[in-house]
Amino acid sequence: MEERDTILIVDDVMINRELLKDIFEKGEYELLEAKDGEEAIEILEENKEKIVLIFLDLVMPKKNGLEVLHHMSLNNMINTIPVIMITGEATVESDVKAYELGAADIIYKPFEPAVVTRRAKNIIELYKHRTFMEKELEARNQELLESKKQIENSNTFLINALSSVVEFRSLESGEHIQRVKKFTEIMLRHWRALYGEKQFSNEQIELIVNASALHDIGKIAIPDNILLKSGRLTDEEYAEMKKHTIYGCQMLEKFKQEENEFYRYCYDICRYHHERYDGRGYPDGLVGDAIPVWAQIVAVVDVYDALVSKRVYKASFTIQETYRMINDGECGIFSPKLLKCFNDAKEDIIANTSKEQMGEEN
Amino acid sequence: MIQEFYKKINGNYEVAISRMQNDERIKKYLNFFLMDESYKSLEEGMNSNDCEMAFRGAHTLKGVCQNMAFTYLSTIVEQITEELRAKDIEKAKLTFKKVKEEYEKVIEEIHKIM
Repeated sequence: MEERDTILIVDDVMINRELLKDIFEKGEYELLEAKDGEEAIEILEENKEKIVLIFLDLVMPKKNGLEVLHHMSLNNMINTIPVIMITGEATVESDVKAYELGAADIIYKPFEPAVVTRRAKNIIELYKHRTFMEKELEARNQELLESKKQIENSNTFLINALSSVVEFRSLESGEHIQRVKKFTEIMLRHWRALYGEKQFSNEQIELIVNASALHDIGKIAIPDNILLKSGRLTDEEYAEMKKHTIYGCQMLEKFKQEENEFYRYCYDICRYHHERYDGRGYPDGLVGDAIPVWAQIVAVVDVYDALVSKRVYKASFTIQETYRMINDGECGIFSPKLLKCFNDAKEDIIANTSKEQMGEEN
Repeated sequence: MIQEFYKKINGNYEVAISRMQNDERIKKYLNFFLMDESYKSLEEGMNSNDCEMAFRGAHTLKGVCQNMAFTYLSTIVEQITEELRAKDIEKAKLTFKKVKEEYEKVIEEIHKIM
């Protein structure tokens, strides 16, 4: 931006304007003048990037000095353009009012050239310095925001890496987790739209979505002969397989962080994403809303994704069939509120379900 | 010449010269003073009993006289300004006679040196 270089002189009396003009005539500044408040505002609007200082008379026709100050406050000019009020006499009320409205200084008529130039110089320097400091601060803020963004990116990267270990071991493609994250996000946004703003902030949604990636982390502790078995699991094997919910929590507990929201979501999702509303899920057989909403959401999207995806050992179901099975309770009972949200989100979920995952050729 | 003028009208030449730098400049401002319309507004306000208008004229004229270092004229204009601010039109009418007389004298003296 160009350096500000113009002083605006506002006074209805020509002699007063001329006196001020003479004072700055030989100086480094361009001069503009206005003979009433209205004209001052017009000139201000046209030259707000150029004006470095305003001398403003208090008593003027059309709009007076206070009205000009008021206009400047309303339009965010008062912090970048200093105003020196000129006034015939000191009345406490008008002085207080002028300072309240953001005047930088007040000088009284008659003018003393030496005093006027000195004060003008000081105030211009002061505002220059202030604007500089504000810019510095803003740049610093920008840096902070960027480093926060970088930390968030690394977090997401680490979570993705961690969760893909499990998928890698179970010989699945890494996409199941990415889809669970996507579907979880869709569900949370629909949940918020359906049941109120208070439910989840954008920050909470981000945390829960990241936590959803870790839902099966406990599978890392399941032996190969069970995890990789292609045939049907025996009762004993199935009992061991179910323990991945507990194993996941045990792993998390080792680096538990007290009072940490993200930890809470990770823990709940690992442990409860196989619970069902009627209490017939595992590992704890929780009933109803004792199961945290985020775990309920991950549960339903986990089932959905498993059903619509083609696996080595099974074909995929169609989306409509999958929706019907979930709504009819064929994959365990989900809460009415959750199903309502799931159906509300159907269009978005379909849009994010790919033909590739369903094993269709285009 | 200018210095003499200030003496005749009971003004303060020293202040004027420090403010306006040189006689040339002072002359320029004396010329502006002739064009200034605040006295007209004071007079019109007084004649039509318009206190508000008279006050605005007096207020401006006071500032101008102070800037010009017309010490005596500015003192009596200040007096009438305060009377008009208090809306005491009767007192202001008395003072106005003095203001008129003094203002006309100043104008006359300015014309002499122009």
